Amino acid sequence: MTLTQQQPVRNPRKAPGSQPQTNDGAAARASHVLPRLIAPVALAGILLTFSLLSPNFLVPGNLLSVLSQMAILALVAVGLTVVVRAGGIDLSIGVALDLAALGAAALIADGYRAWVAIAVGLLFGLLVGAVNAALIVGLKIPPFLATLSVWFIGTSVQQLLTGGGAPIYLSTPRVPIEFALLGRGYVLDLDGVVLTAAIVAVVVAVLLGLTRWGRAVTVAGEQPTAARISGLRVNRLSVSAYLLCSLVAAFAGVILAARTNGFVPGSGQAYLMDAIGAVFIGATLSRFGRVSVPGTLVGVLIFGLLSNGMNLIGLSFFWQGLGRGIVLLAILLLGVLLARNSGRPGPFGRLFTLTAAPRQKAD
Amino acid sequence: MSAATLEESAQAGHDTPRRTRPALITWAGYGMVLLVLALFAIGSPHFLQWSNLASVLNQAAVFAVAGIGLAIVIITGGDDVLKGGIDLSLGAVAGLAGTVTAVAVGAGAGVPVAVLGGLVVAVAIGAANGAAVVLGLRPLLATLATMGIATSLELVVSENLKVALEGSLFLWLRQGTVLGLPAAVVLLLLVAAAAWWALGRTAWGVNSYAVGQNATAASVAGLDPARYRFFSYVISSLLGGIAGVLLASRLSAAVPGIGAQILLDIILVAYMSTVFSRRLVVNIPGTVVAAVFVAGLANGLTLLGVASQWIGAAKGVLILLVLAVVVVRGRSAAK
Repeated sequence: MTLTQQQPVRNPRKAPGSQPQTNDGAAARASHVLPRLIAPVALAGILLTFSLLSPNFLVPGNLLSVLSQMAILALVAVGLTVVVRAGGIDLSIGVALDLAALGAAALIADGYRAWVAIAVGLLFGLLVGAVNAALIVGLKIPPFLATLSVWFIGTSVQQLLTGGGAPIYLSTPRVPIEFALLGRGYVLDLDGVVLTAAIVAVVVAVLLGLTRWGRAVTVAGEQPTAARISGLRVNRLSVSAYLLCSLVAAFAGVILAARTNGFVPGSGQAYLMDAIGAVFIGATLSRFGRVSVPGTLVGVLIFGLLSNGMNLIGLSFFWQGLGRGIVLLAILLLGVLLARNSGRPGPFGRLFTLTAAPRQKAD
Repeated sequence: MSAATLEESAQAGHDTPRRTRPALITWAGYGMVLLVLALFAIGSPHFLQWSNLASVLNQAAVFAVAGIGLAIVIITGGDDVLKGGIDLSLGAVAGLAGTVTAVAVGAGAGVPVAVLGGLVVAVAIGAANGAAVVLGLRPLLATLATMGIATSLELVVSENLKVALEGSLFLWLRQGTVLGLPAAVVLLLLVAAAAWWALGRTAWGVNSYAVGQNATAASVAGLDPARYRFFSYVISSLLGGIAGVLLASRLSAAVPGIGAQILLDIILVAYMSTVFSRRLVVNIPGTVVAAVFVAGLANGLTLLGVASQWIGAAKGVLILLVLAVVVVRGRSAAK
């Protein structure tokens, strides 16, 4: 993160062993491919397990409903992907979502047109991103702590704006049709929200993966010093990443408001944990341990199918957090362990582990 | 952050006159705290009454005990938040330990057995954290996952109901006094003194700082960073468990979901301790002062008639102020 940060080496007695050694080609290749297979295998395992346990799981109707349940989490996680790719983290992403939902719902309740409400909602969310960017890029406060305090402040702001945390409910006849369609429209038989989320995901994926901006953000996140020396405007790139993240989260918030026909304070932060988990599960898919939109969507799919399956087999809500936590821990740990057995920490070393030894090969 | 710290301490070692300047700024942290508390004392006549002060200290005890645990993790893991030491599961562990204790007492177990049960569960989660981190997972991700697990276990054990906690020990922790001091505060002082002594006066403590500041140098010098990191998470969870039992006795019940609420305060308290340090490192006395300050802030704002919604905002602004001070001081030291 900071340029002067001394990279801690976790266990240097292992470090010498991580150099060339005797890597026969096949074994080395296998150990490169194996960690990347964890997430797909986990996904297949979840599909298989629940389709055996419940007859209602692997049917088109149920899978479509999983998609529409996942849409908002997918949007939040896609937004978070941008910031993590730029080398940061955003714990206040739920605040951006909440404030956007609040802005949109309040304006609709006051009788404004749909586009005004949507625009103001997005602006509210962008405001959170701007505050984050100012703290992190301007004041150089570490992203984790800066966004943590924005989380505090944002929660407080929500309570102040809603008179102590009273939910806003919209009466259906007064909601403009455009706004209602945003949350509950159907395109043929497909939930409109799924389509919207897919479009946003594709746009962000193209931005990150195929454009010059995306490459610059990736470089600025992974090698800030090199990026600065080679003339990239690192600060500007970070700011744009935080703004884009909050914009996507705000869009999710507007959709949530339209979908639930109202606003409940503090509903956004519930997505944070799953979003972080999904983003980092997605990173195990990459050869470089790099987060990416497709990887994130695989992570979201794992969480979505897991929740749905656990509901279908009638597992109590109390146990579901345990299931999610164990799956998350198992996938991430396996990623680290399989990468470690390859002798060199390589790609995963950079993302997950504290080991900093053989960096030159990974990039 | 850490580089600036190293540089500052290096400078301090070379020419002694430099020592005086940072020392002055160090007092600014304490000065701020005293100023705010004085404002409360002027604004409300009730603030300085002993019963109110005792309740502030009682509240501070929970955050401080857990905060000391987090401080040890940060000291041993380094203070870079993304790669260094952090324990997000601490709040959930505190909640879980309190719930297990309360449920065990409710099921008829003896008080010592119940408390022991709560602490054993806490230590088990700490061991899981430590193992995952030592295996190479980032602390942020590992403790995020165990936080979900601990929260869920708490729901399973309590069935999402408030569990009343009764027993002479818990009553004593809530109301008892030793030499005029509330029992919880005495416990806090004991924990803080032990941690301060262990970190400042024993080889283990000095080595922990060494591992956290520069793991490479520490391992070249013959230390095994993995061992120190593992035990820092175990100790942290143990202290989190103690804080949970304290909290449950103060509320005379284990309240489900309280872990998520206290996590932010614990993180705030541990990081705020850097303000009270000449070398800008996380430390034990600073953690205790910060805990008292945060508890006093909530209490004072309430006494002044500020709506409770503002208190969260005040805390958020406070973290930012603290961090801004640290960053500015770090810059001036680096020059």
